[in-house]
Amino acid sequence: MKTIIIKKSTSILFGLFLSLFLCSTTSKAQEIQISGIVKGQTFEQTEILNGANIFLKGTKTGTSSNKKGEFTFPQKLNIGDVLEISYLGYLKKRITIKENSSFLNITLKEDDNQMLGALNNNKRYKTKRQKE
Amino acid sequence: MPKIALCFFLFLGYFSFAQQSDFNHIDFSKADNNAKTIKSKRLFELNKLTFELTKNLETDIEKLRAIYIWICNNVANDFGLYSLNERKRKRFAEDSLKLQNWNSTFKKKLFKKLLKKKRTICTGYAYLLKEMCATVGIESKMVNGFGRTSTVDFTKLVMPNHTWNVVKINNKWYLCDPTWSTGISFPDEGRFQFIYNDGYFLTDPKLFFLNHFPIEEKYSLLAEKTPSFMEYTESPLLYGDAYLVLEKHISPKKMNHILKKGDTFSFQYQLKNEKDANQVKFVIDSGLNEQTVQPKTDLKEQILTLNYTFKTTGFFDMHLYIENKLISSYTFNVTQ
Repeated sequence: MKTIIIKKSTSILFGLFLSLFLCSTTSKAQEIQISGIVKGQTFEQTEILNGANIFLKGTKTGTSSNKKGEFTFPQKLNIGDVLEISYLGYLKKRITIKENSSFLNITLKEDDNQMLGALNNNKRYKTKRQKE
Repeated sequence: MPKIALCFFLFLGYFSFAQQSDFNHIDFSKADNNAKTIKSKRLFELNKLTFELTKNLETDIEKLRAIYIWICNNVANDFGLYSLNERKRKRFAEDSLKLQNWNSTFKKKLFKKLLKKKRTICTGYAYLLKEMCATVGIESKMVNGFGRTSTVDFTKLVMPNHTWNVVKINNKWYLCDPTWSTGISFPDEGRFQFIYNDGYFLTDPKLFFLNHFPIEEKYSLLAEKTPSFMEYTESPLLYGDAYLVLEKHISPKKMNHILKKGDTFSFQYQLKNEKDANQVKFVIDSGLNEQTVQPKTDLKEQILTLNYTFKTTGFFDMHLYIENKLISSYTFNVTQ
């Protein structure tokens, strides 16, 4: 009886120790500070985007690129996290964080949509009549 | 099986007529208050602004409301950009490469101005709404198509001229037009004025269709009942205020009519609110002079029926006013 109890408790302790060890190593080894630059590529040229949105997918954590297109993500990220980068008029891009992702050079592609604008007005309709 | 069920629900989403009255039980005052009190001089930190606008709101519909009202109170129609784009698009209409090049150049200009000065044209509004909705997890799409106003001439309009949105709330698609909700332009004076129009926010698809023909038919949200482009161009002309007063434009289905002298013509509308049925009048323009007439009016359970007998021959533009608001226009060719 005694030996069984001892075996059980040691195995539990060992398990606890192992899980603690695993947890601490995973979180330490994979946290990366991310920064980068966002550019937009259009038909004719590529240029820096001021005010691009950078988000950790599925969360409210995010930031915007500055005048130089640069950003530093406000929290450290883990390998496998996904960042979503968007800017008006460009296609959204998703980037999965890897070990070497500490500096991201991001280029968004132009969204293929025509720019249109009909203005609304209150001008009353008038039939065009031929002069008599 | 789940896939089939999903398809069915998507299908159902397009089918059931989604409109603002679905949310009559929701109090928008919190959302509207956020939209009114939160200011942002520029839009370079769009996600921060969006979270600020929606921070104390629980439901998707309230979040959408706060974003929509904020855009409509803060982003102006840019008349200069509009006319520049119109000119260039017309010039390059036959040359697809030049048009694409122009579109690309213009787009950059457009979004820079939107973020820096909060001024834009339709597609800018649609992008902005889509982006801000995406930030708080609301799905939406931009819809390109033919917008109809009194100054649009369909015999000359060859390319789409307008962009609006469909937004998905509680698994159902809804229509809205942030550009036209924002205000009114005065084309002759080259001026724009902010006047919020709630009538374009989650509008009944049948009413919305009278001024919005989408290139992709599914975005009419009328499914197989979507009228053809021809039917669209022949339908009555509605003005912005119609969207505040009318729930439905029941009849006539067409704008232009041929009648005989002495004929009585019938008009029918479903009103949003019965109280609006005061001061119903028609202004009839013969080209030479204008007269105001009172039609025979009947109101039952929000259905307003008007009858008018044409006593003289001629070609008339006929304009409906309710409470001094210009609602719709028709033409009548009255013969002997």
